[in-house]
Amino acid sequence: MGAGPAVKKIRKTYAGKIRLIIKNYPYRYRDYAFGAAAASLAARDQGKYWEMHDLLIERSPKLDRQSLVSYARELGLNVNRFIRAMDGKKIGKAIKKDLKLAVKMDLYNTPTFFINGRKVVGNRPYEYLTKIIDEELKRTGK
Amino acid sequence: MKKLLIPSLALLVSICSTAYADETRYRVPIGDSPSLGPQNAPVTIIEFIDFQ
Repeated sequence: MGAGPAVKKIRKTYAGKIRLIIKNYPYRYRDYAFGAAAASLAARDQGKYWEMHDLLIERSPKLDRQSLVSYARELGLNVNRFIRAMDGKKIGKAIKKDLKLAVKMDLYNTPTFFINGRKVVGNRPYEYLTKIIDEELKRTGK
Repeated sequence: MKKLLIPSLALLVSICSTAYADETRYRVPIGDSPSLGPQNAPVTIIEFIDFQ
């Protein structure tokens, strides 16, 4: 489960001041986590990453394959292309690369954030995250 | 004086215990991951996410 609403609000409040990067860390024991990550990257191939990202968070845990395809349709994506990309090697490899990184960094929870490198583990309220962001903005003089 | 000392000590302790994020700074390679916002933004947030 992502920190959906807090991060979405941060994206708005700090537009232009922050850069947000997403790494996929789908837990192995969760049925649909890997598929959902693949769906987000498949939407990215058609220029709709953030739209799919937000939709997946909103509709989670309804992330079975049929639902993912229906979300692609809802976003106006080319569905055949979406499915091909989702099942393709390129995306599978990209997710495995993120997974490997997460394991290497010994991450044990999602979401885990690195805010200018400072680690924040787990779901946190908006105010918690903004305090750190504000500290970083102050520190960098922006 | 003593009256003042206790609350100010309490304040000091509360400030020190506001240990928010771990102060260690980790390096996380960005690679080709999805990103939003300017490359030269003063704050970079890397989120490891699981949609489920």
